[in-house]
Amino acid sequence: MSGAECESDMDCSGSDCGDAGYEDYYSTQPWDGEIDNDINFDKQKQDPEYAVYECLRVDEVERLLNENVEFLTTNLQITPSLAKLFLHAHEWDLQDILLKYQDNTSNIMIDSKIILSHSVDPLFNMKFLKGNLCSVCFLTFPTERFSTLNCGHSFCNDCWCAYFETQILQGVSTGIRCMANSCSILAPEDFVLSLLIKPIMRERYQQFVFRDYVKSHPQLRFCPGPNCQIVIRSKELRSKRVICSICKTVFCFRCGMDYHAPTDCDTIKKWLTKCADDSETANYISAHTKDCPKCHICIEKNGGCNHMQCYNCKHDFCWMCLGDWKTHGSEYYECSRYKENPNIAHESVHAQAREALKKYLHYYERWENHSKSLKLEEQTLEEIKLRIQKKVMNASGTWIDWQHLFEAASLLARCRYTLQYTYPYAYYMEAGPRKELFEYQQAQLEAEIENLSWKIERAETTDRGDLENQMDIAEKRRITLLKDFLEV
Amino acid sequence: MATNIAAQRIKREFKEVIKSEEVSLYLNVAQCSIKVELVNDSCVELKGEIAGPPDTPYEGGNFILEIKIPETYPFNPPKVRFITKIWHPNISSITGAICLDILKDQWAAAMTLRTVLLSLQALLSAAEPDDPQDAVVAKQYKEQPEMFHQTAKHWTSVYAGGPSKMPELDEKIKRLTDMGIEEHNARDALSSYNWDLERATEQLFS
Ligand SMILES: [Zn+2]
Ligand SMILES: [Zn+2]
Ligand SMILES: [Zn+2]
Ligand SMILES: [Zn+2]
Ligand SMILES: [Zn+2]
Ligand SMILES: [Zn+2]
Repeated sequence: MSGAECESDMDCSGSDCGDAGYEDYYSTQPWDGEIDNDINFDKQKQDPEYAVYECLRVDEVERLLNENVEFLTTNLQITPSLAKLFLHAHEWDLQDILLKYQDNTSNIMIDSKIILSHSVDPLFNMKFLKGNLCSVCFLTFPTERFSTLNCGHSFCNDCWCAYFETQILQGVSTGIRCMANSCSILAPEDFVLSLLIKPIMRERYQQFVFRDYVKSHPQLRFCPGPNCQIVIRSKELRSKRVICSICKTVFCFRCGMDYHAPTDCDTIKKWLTKCADDSETANYISAHTKDCPKCHICIEKNGGCNHMQCYNCKHDFCWMCLGDWKTHGSEYYECSRYKENPNIAHESVHAQAREALKKYLHYYERWENHSKSLKLEEQTLEEIKLRIQKKVMNASGTWIDWQHLFEAASLLARCRYTLQYTYPYAYYMEAGPRKELFEYQQAQLEAEIENLSWKIERAETTDRGDLENQMDIAEKRRITLLKDFLEV
Repeated sequence: MATNIAAQRIKREFKEVIKSEEVSLYLNVAQCSIKVELVNDSCVELKGEIAGPPDTPYEGGNFILEIKIPETYPFNPPKVRFITKIWHPNISSITGAICLDILKDQWAAAMTLRTVLLSLQALLSAAEPDDPQDAVVAKQYKEQPEMFHQTAKHWTSVYAGGPSKMPELDEKIKRLTDMGIEEHNARDALSSYNWDLERATEQLFS
C-alpha cells in the first residue's frame, strides 16, 4: 500500500493513477532518498493540487517508527525507551538527535527531560527515603516496593501505578511527569509499563503513546475519517489534498480539516470558527470547552483563569482568543476585560458591527448555498443512477454508454467544492485589484458550474459532445483560479 | 485504584501535622498562619484560612478559602478559590478564582494542602501581574501601584477584617450607596475606575 494514492474517480485525470510502475517507483526507492524533483515540479505546474503521499496501516507505521528507534539504539547504544524519548522530543529528526548527542550528551538528555540539570534535592531523600516513607500516600513500605526515576525521586509502586492510571484516563501518555514537586522529568515507556498492572491500562497507554508519536511526527497524519486507522505520510508539510485509500475521506494534509483550496489552513479555521459562533460574543464566551489551537485536543476550562495550558502538548494559550499566551504580555487586558464585561466590546464596535455583519452575510450565504447545492447534486447523481439502470434494463444502451454522466457529476462536485471554498478566501482578502481579479474568476467559474449543473440535470437529452465540452470549460476555469491564487 | 485514596491521603495529611502537636493542620510561622478544617466528614470539601502576610496590603486580614478535593487527589490538584473577597492581580475580584501554576499544570502528587496554602500566601506577598487572573486589577497594579495598594488595603479591611480605616474611600462609596447602588457594586466600580467617582457612576448607570 504505497505510492501516491489517487484512485477515487474525483482524482483520476492523469496517466499516473493506479499505475503499477508508479507503485514500484516507491517500493524500490527508500522514502528518504532523493525524490525526482523535476517530475514533481512538472506535475505541479500542470496541476496545482498535485500531491505525493502514501497511506499506511498501523503496522506499517509501527515498522517505520521502529526503524527510527532501532537506528538510534544501534548507533548510540541506548535503550529503545530512551531512543523514543529523544525521538518524541525532537520531532523524529534523526540527524538532529545524532548531532546533538555527539555534541553534548548530557545537554540532549536534559532537553529531552530524561535527566535533571541539577542533582536531586538532598532534603527529599533525607526526609522520606530513610524512613521508607512514600511522600504521596504517607505510608511506609520496604525498599523493594519503591521505584525511582532518573531524577532520583522515589515513590511506592502503588502510588506510581495509581498516578499512571489517572494520567492515562486523562489521555496523557508520553507527557507523564515525575510526581515530585517541580520535577519535569518524564516517565519513560519501560518505566511506566513495568509499574502498570491492569492489561486494559497497558493497552490504552500503548495506544496513546502511538497516537502521540504519530502526532509528533511531521510527516505523518491520522486520517480524520470516522473510525479509520490509516495514517497518511507525506514528505512535505503542505496544505495538499489527500484521499484516504480506505475510507476515501478527503482532507488537507497540513491541518487535517476538510480540504479547503484556495483558502489556506489558518484562514479556513478562522472562517469556520466564525461561522460556528454566529454571535461571536456571548455564545462564544460561555462555551466551557475549546480545542487546543496547537494539537486540537479538547480542553475543559478549569476555574476562571484565561491562561490555559494544554495538558497534552503543553501549549500556553489564551482562552478568550485562542492566541498564543506569550503574545499577551502587554495586551492581555483586552481579552480578560472582554470576559468580565462583554458590554465593553459592544460599545466600541457597535457602529461598525452592522457593516461587518452585512459583509459577512454576503459571503456566508454563498458559502452555504454551494454547500447545499453539493448535497442536492449528490441526490441528483443517485437519481441519474436509477434512471440509467432502468434504461439499461430496457436495453436502451449499456452502462458504458452512460459512463460519461458519472464523470460529469463527479467533476461537477469537484468544481462546486472548490467554488464553495473560494468564499472564505474572498472574505478575508483586502480590497484592491487582486481581489477584483479573484472575484472575476470566481464569477466565471460559478457561471460555468451552473451551466454544467443544468446540463447534467437534463443529461439524457443533452448532446454528449456538448456536455463534455462544458466539463472541459468548467475544469479549466477551476484550474486557472487555483493556479493564480493557490499558494503551495 | 482504590476509590477512597483521596480521603485516606487527606486524613493522613491531618495526622502528620497533629503528630507535630498542632490541633488542626495549623502552622504559625512568624505572624503567618495557615489553617485547614474539614467542613464535614466526607474529606471532599475543606475550609482553608490564610493570614495576610506582613508588609503587604493584606496584613491583618484573614482570608477564607474553599477547597474541593477531587476523587483523584493527590494525582490531580485540589480546586481552590477565595471565599473572602480580595483585590489581587492573580485572583478574580468577582469569583475568587485563582491563577496559580501549582493548581494547574505544575501540580505534583507529592504536594500537600500545606504546600498549596503556603504558595497562596506567597502569592499574596508577590503577585505576578504578567499572568493575571483579574486584568483590571493587574492593570492598576502595574500602572498605579499606590492606588492598587490603597484599594487592596481597603478590601482587606472591609472583607477580611483588616485594621486600616480609610474614611476618604468610605465617603466615596457612601455617595454611590446614597444613589441606591448596592455597597459591594459601588466598591467594585470605584476600585475598577481608580476611585474616580464620575467614571464609576457613569459605568454603573450606563
Ligand atoms: Zn505511595
Ligand atoms: Zn523527579
Ligand atoms: Zn481513512
Ligand atoms: Zn489545511
Ligand atoms: Zn492566567
Ligand atoms: Zn487573548
